[in-house]
Amino acid sequence: MIQHLSSSTRPERVVILGGSGFVGSWLQEGLRRLEIDCLPLSSAQIDLTVPAAVGFLQERLRPVDALVFCSALTPDKGRDSTTLMKNLCMGHHVASAVEESPCRHVIYISSDAVYEESPNPVHDDTAPAPSSLYALMHLTREKMLTAALSKVGVPLLILRPCAIYGSGDTHNSYGPNRFLRSAREDRRIALFGDGEERRHHLFIRDLVAVIVECLQRRSQGIGIIAGSEAITFGDLARSISRLVQPVPRIESLPRQGGVITHRHYDLTAYLKAFPNLPLTRLEDGLRQTLANMAQ
Amino acid sequence: MIGFAGLSHLGIVYSIATAARGLQVLGYDPRSALCGNLDQGRFPVLEPGLPETFAKHRERLSFTADAKELSRCAVVFLSLDVPTDAQNRSDLGPLSQLIGEVLGCLRPGAVMVILCQVPPGFTRALGRRLAPKPEAAGVSLFYQVETLVFGNAIERALNPERYIVGCADPGEPLPSAYQQWLAAFGCPVLPMRYESAELTKIAINLFLVSSVTTTNTIAELAERIGAEWSEIVPALRLDRRIGSHAYLAPGLGLAGGNLERDLVTFRRLADECGSDAGVITAWMVNSAYRRDWALRCLHKEVLAEQPNANLAIWGLAYKAHTHSTRNSPALGLIESLPHLEKRAYDPQVRLAELPPGLAQADSALEACEGAHALAILTPWPQFRQIDLAAVRHRMAGRAVIDPFGVRDSAECATFGLRHFRLGSASGHHLSES
Repeated sequence: MIQHLSSSTRPERVVILGGSGFVGSWLQEGLRRLEIDCLPLSSAQIDLTVPAAVGFLQERLRPVDALVFCSALTPDKGRDSTTLMKNLCMGHHVASAVEESPCRHVIYISSDAVYEESPNPVHDDTAPAPSSLYALMHLTREKMLTAALSKVGVPLLILRPCAIYGSGDTHNSYGPNRFLRSAREDRRIALFGDGEERRHHLFIRDLVAVIVECLQRRSQGIGIIAGSEAITFGDLARSISRLVQPVPRIESLPRQGGVITHRHYDLTAYLKAFPNLPLTRLEDGLRQTLANMAQ
Repeated sequence: MIGFAGLSHLGIVYSIATAARGLQVLGYDPRSALCGNLDQGRFPVLEPGLPETFAKHRERLSFTADAKELSRCAVVFLSLDVPTDAQNRSDLGPLSQLIGEVLGCLRPGAVMVILCQVPPGFTRALGRRLAPKPEAAGVSLFYQVETLVFGNAIERALNPERYIVGCADPGEPLPSAYQQWLAAFGCPVLPMRYESAELTKIAINLFLVSSVTTTNTIAELAERIGAEWSEIVPALRLDRRIGSHAYLAPGLGLAGGNLERDLVTFRRLADECGSDAGVITAWMVNSAYRRDWALRCLHKEVLAEQPNANLAIWGLAYKAHTHSTRNSPALGLIESLPHLEKRAYDPQVRLAELPPGLAQADSALEACEGAHALAILTPWPQFRQIDLAAVRHRMAGRAVIDPFGVRDSAECATFGLRHFRLGSASGHHLSES
C-alpha cells in the first residue's frame, strides 16, 4: 500500500541510478518537463557492482536529494547465480551508501516478477513468492533497502511494475515492444501458439507519471503498477496490426512450454493512491509508441 | 420483570420485543439522556416497525439510569453492543464494566444472560472469575446467541427461529424465570455448553459469509463471461442443499462490522490452536476486493474517458433501513475520489462533516444535476420509484452504477442509460454496442 507523506513538495534534486536505461531516460525527461533538477548516473559513471560505488555515491548524495534506483542486470544479461550475485552487490552498495549518507527519499523500481505466476488477481498485499533468480534478486534488494533505510528513517517506496512498453526500450522481450518492432521492420508478428496468455502492459509514460508524483508527494510503501487491463498476446498483436501500415502478418510459432498462464492485477490500490492519474489505454499507448519510433 | 442492561441497538430491540410478548420490561443504561429519549419514544436507531411496536406496548416498558432498579428483575440480559477497533477486534472493557455495575444490584437467585458478542471461552472464564464474589452468590449465568440483522431486527426478535442457550452445564434444567421468558416466544430452545453456544454464534456468521463470498465470486465471473447471476439464482434456491433462504444476492463485501469481528475472532482462535483457517483469510481478502467494485467500475466505464466527471450518489448508509454508515460502500467510494465533484442524497443520513468535494443534496433528483455518472450504493426502496426520464434529463452522462440492481437494466436502457450491476454483463455489453 502506498502512503503519501506530503501533499506536494518538489525534491531539490533527483539522483537516478540507471539514468541512461529505459526507465531512467524517460524519467529524466519527465523531471525536466517539471524543471526538477536531476543527476542521472549510468553504469558508465558508476559501477554499482563494485565496493567503490559506496564511496562514489556517498560523495554525490545530498540530504535534500531523492534517489530513484532503477538499475539492474536484466535476465537477457544472464539468468544464473553470477548475475544474481552482481545484482545483489548493487543493491547492497546502494543500501550501504544511503545508510551512511541519508537522503530525503528513495524509490526502488522493483518488478512484478516477485509474485508467483498462478494466483489471480494479484493484490498489493499478495505475498511475494519469487520463482526465478531475477525475481529473488528484486525481493532481496527490497528487503536490503527496507532494512537499511528504516535504520536511518528515510522513506522508501517500492514500485513493482509489470512489463513496460514504450520507445527506447533496449530489451526485446515478448510483448508490445517486440511486436511493434517486428510489425514495422519485418511486417510480421510472431506469437507463441495463438498468444492466448493474458497480461497487463504498462506504458512507460504512466510509470514515469507515477514516479514523478511519488517524488513530489514523498510517497512510501509498496505498490503494483500495471496497465489498466489484461489482454491476450493475440489481441495485442491484432491491435498493433490495426495501427501499422502495411498490415503485418500474424504468425503462430510452436509454444514453448505446455501450460498457458494468465496474470491479472487488482488495481484498486492504484486507483485509490493515484485517483488523478488515469492509466493510458493500451491502444493510445501503442499509437504514441509507434509515433515515437517513427521519429 | 425482565431487565436489559445496555440499551444498544440490540438492547432496545429486545426490550420492546419482550414487552410485545406480554412481559414487564426494565431497560437500564447509565446514559440518562438516552433513557429519557427512549421513555418518550425517541430512538437512536432506525428499524422498521420499532416505533409502532413501542407505541403498542408502551405500558410494559420503563427505562432507568439507576442500576439498583435491576434488583426488581428476575432475569437481566446484558445487551451492550461490544465495540470493535479498526481491525475488527472486540473491546470487552465496556462489557466487563457493565457486568461489574449490574452484578452488585442483582437479587439473590437472579439470572444473568449475556446477549453480547463475546469470544468463545468468555462466559466460562467469567463464571470462574465471579464464583468467589459474594455479590454473585446465587446468580446463575448464561450466554444466549443473538444475531441481530439491522433493518429486520424487530421482526426477527418477535419471531425468532430458535434460541441457543449457553449453560455451565447443559444437563441442568434452566431456571424457571428464564424458561418463562424463552417460552413467551414459542420457538425451539437449544441448550448447550457455553463454548458451543459461543462458537454457534460465530458458526452462523461464518456460514453466511461463505454464502456471501461464494455468491460474489460467481457473480464476478458472470459479469466477465456474459452470464446473468439473476438467472442462476432460482436454480440454486430450488436445490435443497442450498435452500430457498440462502444468501444469494451479490454485494460489496462484508459491512457493518459484526461478521468481520467473527472472522477475526475465529482466525485468532485457529491461530492459537493451530487449526487451519486459510479459508477465513480468503474470505477477508475477497470482501476487501469486492468492496471497491463500484470504484473499479467507475474508473473503467467513466473516468478512463472523462477523468474529471461529476458524480451523483444515491445512498450513504451501509444498507437500507439503517442510518449506520460504518463500512459504508458510498463513503468508501467518496474517500477514494477526493478530486471529483460529488453530490450525494440519502433519505436518512446527514453527514456532520463532508469529505472533500462532496455536497449533500435534498433529493435524489437534485443529486443528479449535471452528473456524468450515478452510483446507487444503498438499496433504499424509494430509489426504485424515481422517474428515470427525469434522472436522464438532469444528468450530463449516461452511466448508472447500481451494484445491488435497484433499477432494472432494460428500463435504464430505454432511457439511454448504461446500467452496471453486480453479477450482470448487461452494462458492459451496452457499452460495447
